[in-house]
Amino acid sequence: MSMIVTTEKALSKRGQGARKTAPGSSALLNRGQVLLFAALCIFTLFNLIPLLWAVLTSLKHPADAFTIPPTLVFEPTLEYHKEVWLDHNFVQYLSNSLIVSAGTVIISVPIGSLAAYALSRIPRQRSGPILSALFTIRMFPHILLAIPFFVMGSFLNLIDSYVLLILALIAINQPFTIWLMHGFFSDIPRDLDEAAALDGCNSWQSFRTVILPLARPGMTVAALFSLLLSYNEFLFALVLTGVDTKTLPVAIASFGGEDISSLSLAAAGAIGIMLPIVIIMLLLQRHLVRGLTMGAVKG
Amino acid sequence: MQNKVMSRKLALGVTSSLLIGSTLTVEAWAQDTIRIISHRQPALEYYTSQMEGALEDGRVSVELMPIDKELELASITMSSGSDAIDVLYLNDSSLKRFAANGWLEPLDDLWEKYKEEYKLGDFPQSVVDAVSYDGHIYSMPIMSNAELFFYRSDLLKENGIEPPSTMEEYEQAAEALDSNRMAGTIMSLKPVDAALNEAHWYINAIGDGWFDENWRPIFNNEAGVAAINKMKEMAEHAPRGFTSHANDESTINLQQGLAAMGLQWFTRAAAMDDPTQSRFVGQFEWVAPPSGGARIANDGFAISKFSSADKEEMFKMLAIAASQESMRKGAEYAMPPRLSVLEDPELAEKYRWYPAARQALENGKAFPPIPDFLDVGEIVTRYILQAVIGEMEVHAALNQAAEETEELLASRGYYD
Amino acid sequence: MVRWQRGLWWFLLPSFGLLTVVLLWPLGYALYLSFFDYYLGSSDRTFIGLGNYVELFTEARLWQSFWTTIIIAFGSVGLQFVVGFALALGIYKLKFSARLFTMLLFLPHIVTPVVAALFIKWILVSNFGLLDATLLGLDITPPDWLGDPIWAKISVILADAWIFTPLIMMVLYAALQTLDQSLIGAAQIDGANAWQILRHIIIPALIPAIIFTVSVRLMDAFRFFDTIYVLTGGGPGTATETITMYTYQLGFRMLDIGKASALGVITLVVVAIILLTINKVLTRIYRRGD
Repeated sequence: MSMIVTTEKALSKRGQGARKTAPGSSALLNRGQVLLFAALCIFTLFNLIPLLWAVLTSLKHPADAFTIPPTLVFEPTLEYHKEVWLDHNFVQYLSNSLIVSAGTVIISVPIGSLAAYALSRIPRQRSGPILSALFTIRMFPHILLAIPFFVMGSFLNLIDSYVLLILALIAINQPFTIWLMHGFFSDIPRDLDEAAALDGCNSWQSFRTVILPLARPGMTVAALFSLLLSYNEFLFALVLTGVDTKTLPVAIASFGGEDISSLSLAAAGAIGIMLPIVIIMLLLQRHLVRGLTMGAVKG
Repeated sequence: MQNKVMSRKLALGVTSSLLIGSTLTVEAWAQDTIRIISHRQPALEYYTSQMEGALEDGRVSVELMPIDKELELASITMSSGSDAIDVLYLNDSSLKRFAANGWLEPLDDLWEKYKEEYKLGDFPQSVVDAVSYDGHIYSMPIMSNAELFFYRSDLLKENGIEPPSTMEEYEQAAEALDSNRMAGTIMSLKPVDAALNEAHWYINAIGDGWFDENWRPIFNNEAGVAAINKMKEMAEHAPRGFTSHANDESTINLQQGLAAMGLQWFTRAAAMDDPTQSRFVGQFEWVAPPSGGARIANDGFAISKFSSADKEEMFKMLAIAASQESMRKGAEYAMPPRLSVLEDPELAEKYRWYPAARQALENGKAFPPIPDFLDVGEIVTRYILQAVIGEMEVHAALNQAAEETEELLASRGYYD
Repeated sequence: MVRWQRGLWWFLLPSFGLLTVVLLWPLGYALYLSFFDYYLGSSDRTFIGLGNYVELFTEARLWQSFWTTIIIAFGSVGLQFVVGFALALGIYKLKFSARLFTMLLFLPHIVTPVVAALFIKWILVSNFGLLDATLLGLDITPPDWLGDPIWAKISVILADAWIFTPLIMMVLYAALQTLDQSLIGAAQIDGANAWQILRHIIIPALIPAIIFTVSVRLMDAFRFFDTIYVLTGGGPGTATETITMYTYQLGFRMLDIGKASALGVITLVVVAIILLTINKVLTRIYRRGD
């Protein structure tokens, strides 16, 4: 019950937010706000310089890219972008990346949520140590996991297949997902479970019909972070993929080579690898902030 | 609600069947594909494409990546006896390490069998030795590489300086050309590979080399200390940031007129004359590195011991890529190890840096031919860099490096 | 245990089953290997007990790289936290365009880490990096960003902060949204100034989120690798050689898997201790703040 109230509060808060941003509310534009806005603008601009510079680099020939003072006026070329996408098979790598990321997110978030829910509903003295242990697992250097993963893969004949990479990514992703979701579930009052139990639901039914719908924004957040992790992961992808399953980060890394024209290629590839994730982010952004707002990390 | 659940189940089902389906097809397909992994650079891009051309379409798949990543991947794969890699590019030191580990297929029989057909006798003995370990041939020589001395002829002329032929002259020239806006010389001291190459030159040109004949370190003797001291002095004429410079950065420094000269690989020479990269096209010239002893390397492609593909077929593929005809074209990117191609006078006309390169092959020096030199390099480079930037005193650093080197080699059974 | 709680253990099964098979197994394997003299190149390995650990603990290099790691990790997490918190507060206070700023400021975080390090390198690399070249163009001789022992550390910290400040900002911004406005209002009526409100109301309310972000980030900062590998390779000399760089060299370059595994285990234990301590301290502050 209380949850519904909370949600309504959240909604009304959002309603206020919408009103705040409405045009014409010039009364709000006092001096402090203007200064704050200006400061944030300046910081944001500086913060984005490395990205913008990389975009420019990807449009330049190397002779223009590395000059003193930096060249801002030049004849842009799309040659390197074209080369990356057309000659270097980036389309295939992108689809590999998307398959791997989707596979990871689709499995990781649900099973992580299940575990997180259970942990949020058992006594603290039992869940506490488990959560700490999960954290500890997360700290082991990935470099040292790569070799056992490969051994496992070649034993199961799963090198150059999506399966093992996805399993590995899910596994390294679990601690973070569980922690994140644990925060959400802890926020959902236990009364709801108990009410459902009184109605004759078993734990699965009450999770499925009562709790899960409330945790959806949290799952969006978990999904986004899982997506970022699996899309960007390099080391395991290098070791576990081959010709057919190579993902974008591995493909990008292949440009750090001997020929400096590949720096322009690397820039073009780097911009290329960002675009899909930027688009997904743009689509999810609203859910992301809302999801985090709903108490993701209230511990 | 019901509908939503259904559609979600459906989506899951479709995804998982897609996943399983794709694995199955990948496996079926992988069986007769030859997987080649290699370092990425223009010469190797060319030669791997020749390999792709040697067999029918789709039989060969090539993956190019930086050498550190390639060696990591290959080490992990081969140490577990996996057949995931069939053919791989190896430079001289890594070849010896991989061969000693028993990860490579000896090619002696195939070499004999096809010697006539592919004119393998054309490779000089020194090259064959470089791709051999313990008396067996392990890789198909693809390119010779040598560090050359690059210099801006216009600047040297302006200042009345002759291209240096000794370390002393090199230092004087670097001092003379060093200015606010331009470094006297490039130095590539990024750990580990770049710095090891640079140190190799000093240790050979001024020092007495790395080891005595019993593989005891001698780089910490008096001459060795003098060598690293010289390196330290030269660092004063190096561009800012030289400790994080590898070949790429040094190349850019030359191309952008930020440094006047210095040691760099043969394979970078063509880029000096490429107007999309270089601001000083036609201004660079080359000589063999002053005082000699800079690194030369003979690199090739080896076949994995664990490969389940047809080894004879792979050997033929390599031989075709390393044929006379192929190397004549490849000469643009790297020095062909075949004598008949290398000594072709046409090359020198076409590519201005060939005369210097041939000389560099004569006066240069390869890494010590032991499988553990890369590990030694890891240890030594670290101390040499500490000495060069002044974290440690030169002699103490080298002694420490020698001690650890000896420990390592002892543990690998060198002195038994 | 109440009835509805029965069967909850089943919920843990898929996740923990997978973790056991995929993650605990390699971890156990690494722990096992840490007791062996195991060179990846040879097929035989010898049991040497705690030999690897003894060797590591007696060499100066371990301690040195630990210190470097601690400086860099705390430096970068500290910087990220301060900037991230300030940004979160700024956006929270801003009455318009907040969504636009969260979006734009989050961008660096979605860049693949290896690529992000490369972007930073193109700014800092001497002579032709954007910042360096601009300063040179203005006739200012900039410091040697990647080649001076102190600046190299700062550069690495800045690079890591560039990538991860957005994460902290986002989480804290979200936590701020749950803040009880009436408390702030009441405090304002009581005549509290902005600093007092921050100190006594906002920060205590955010402690769980702060613990979460700081722990996660510290954990990652202790094993961060790509940025250093791309920017300095551990140099100049050993100025940016962190524990992970050392592990990488042992495991991947020298193929000394036994020693590398031992180093991994040591890292795990040390970081766990540090994190537990920090958690305890922060939790205590939290309790007191209540």
